[in-house]
Order: sequence, then structure tokens, then C-alpha cells
Amino acid sequence: MQTDELERTLRPSLGDRITSVEAFPDTAGRVRFRREAALDVFRSVHALGFHHLSTVGGIDWVDHREVFYILWSDDTRQYVVLSTDVPASDAHVESATPVWPSANWHERETWELVDITFDHHPDLRHLLTPDGYAFHPLLRSFKLHEPEELEVKARHV
Amino acid sequence: MTTPASAPRLARSATQPESFRADGDLLMAGQPAVPFVEIEALRVKEFIPAAKEALTDLIAEQGQSKLIRPVFNWAGRNSLFPLHWGLACCAIEFAAAFGARWDAERFGVVPRSSPRQCDLMIVNGTVTWKVAHKLITLYEQMPEPKWVIAMGNCATGGGPFRTAYSVVPGVDKLVPVDVYIAGCPPRPEAMLDGILRLETLIRERKE
Ligand code: SF4
Repeated sequence: MQTDELERTLRPSLGDRITSVEAFPDTAGRVRFRREAALDVFRSVHALGFHHLSTVGGIDWVDHREVFYILWSDDTRQYVVLSTDVPASDAHVESATPVWPSANWHERETWELVDITFDHHPDLRHLLTPDGYAFHPLLRSFKLHEPEELEVKARHV
Repeated sequence: MTTPASAPRLARSATQPESFRADGDLLMAGQPAVPFVEIEALRVKEFIPAAKEALTDLIAEQGQSKLIRPVFNWAGRNSLFPLHWGLACCAIEFAAAFGARWDAERFGVVPRSSPRQCDLMIVNGTVTWKVAHKLITLYEQMPEPKWVIAMGNCATGGGPFRTAYSVVPGVDKLVPVDVYIAGCPPRPEAMLDGILRLETLIRERKE
């Protein structure tokens, strides 16, 4: 599937809920969408045969944050990237778990490391860091701490 | 102590037999030699009363600490059972030490899979804050007396990840550590050396 073909397939049903479809190396393309339409986009892309959610991640661009989803299709043997921007002050997006149950742990990880909340997530708990951990270590504002200082804050055992 | 002629014989020699002296295990510096208890083939039912009688006798004569402590120390340090677990890359060396080449079992070190059967915890790898309270639980599940070896730079002081957001900078923040082994990772020889050093510590254990 080529990028323009991807756009031709998605555009009629989604309209301006997707902002752009760009070429992206080694994938069918990158679909940028508005975060209000997240679930519609997930369902449409799932219907195209992208049944395997490879990863969910977040990027801190300082002025805003980006959530991306990498999907794989066994039919066309291709990846596709979905991505959306969320403002740093109000970083949340709809959870992808109704469409791809495997999003569960990926979203927990993104939530605790990049501080992006996933609405209607079934079980949004800490995955890699201890319960009550006060930091979001993959944010650019996070500084490496002196171990003692970190210990005081991290110690919720 | 009375020994009926028909009953199995419990012989107690006032002098140390050569075998024990050569080993030197029960000889403590500055302490009188511990009398040797020779127990011949007994059935289980006979052994316990017989041993009890012999020990009661000896304790009355010697005082408890002088007799029991060296025997326990000797038994303890020759059968250290470490917990069979691995946290990170150091666990590979831990595993190698029990292979044919280094054969840690010749020191009586046998890894056990349940903390209830262990008296030694070898922390072989990076401890994160996430796993910290699991480690403490495992430690608390081990019966007394127990020892801890911090193996590798990570367990000793956080190692290369000392300032990372998730790593405990030294396992001595969580449990008391008896022996530290440096290295990233320490070779199996170093691990065995650490165990031998721990044996020296146990040999000198008093209370
Ligand atoms: S000390 Fe080195 S080898 Fe051992 S767990 Fe840490 S990083 Fe791995």
C-alpha cells in the first residue's frame, strides 16, 4: 500500500479528522490525526487490516507532546504510523485498548514515562516505576538526580 | 553417660582424632578443642535420643556457647544455600560459577529455589525501585541466620546506572550486606572468593 493509496482510502470516511498523510521511511505512511477523533481513526485503520499494534510511545517536544502508534498488517506486510499532538498542559488522548487490547501495557508505559493520560484505559497503573513514583523520566524537564535525592522521592515501598 | 552394651555405641574421646585436627575446622584460636562425638550407624529413632543425651552431657561440661557455636558455624559455612535467582547480567556469571568449570558446589554452595530453604542471598544484578520491595520480602522470608552478598557494581553501589531514575544505588539501602564483590560483572572466581570470605566471617561468628 502506497501513501497516496492510504490517503485515498482513509480520507472519504474520516474527512478532516485526519490532518495529513505523509510518506514515512519503511512504512505505508504516517497518518496525523486530531486527538478528538482518535477512536474513529483507530477503527478505520484496524479495518484496513492493521491488526497488530507494535508499539505506542510518546515524545516530549517541549511546547507540545506527541503520541504515536506503530501498526503492522499481516496482509500487506507493512507498517503504518499514526500520530497525534496533544498540548503539554492538557496531555490526554483516548485509549486504543478497545481496538487493540495490546495497547494496554504500552499506554501504561507512555503514561508514566511521558505523562500522557489515556482516557478510558482499563487499568492505568505504574508499569516500570514503583507505585506512587513522582517523576516522568522521559520528559525533557526531568534532570538526573543525585541518588540520595531520588531515593527520598522514589521510596514508596 | 551410660551406654548399655546392647545399645548402639556413642563413643566420646577426650582427645581429638587426627582427621578433625587436620581439617582444623573445629579448632578455634584461643579455645579448647571441642571433644569429638563419634556416632556409629544408628536408626533414626535411636539417633535422636542418643544425640540428645550426648549433647546434653557435653553442654553440661563445656557450656553452651563454646560447644554449640563452633559446631553450628562449621555446619553453616559448609552448606551455604544461596537463593537461586538472577536480576541482570551478573546472573550469567552466577550461573557459570555453578557449571562444571568452576563448580561452586564443591564448597557446599547449592542454589535453592525457595527463600525458605536459603541462608544466603546473592544479589546478582541491578536492583530497581520497582523490584526493591520484592527483594525485601524475599530476604524476610529467609530463615535466620542469613547473609547477603552484593555481587557486582550494580548491587554494590548502583554501578553504571547509579544516577538513573529507577535504580537503587546499592542494595545495602534495602538489606544488610555482609560481603561486596566488585566487578562488572565479577568473574566466577571473584564470586567464589566472596563466598570464601563470607565463610571466614561465619567462622568468626560469636553470638
Ligand atoms: S555490575 Fe555490570 S554485569 Fe553486573 S548487573 Fe550491573 S551492569 Fe550487569
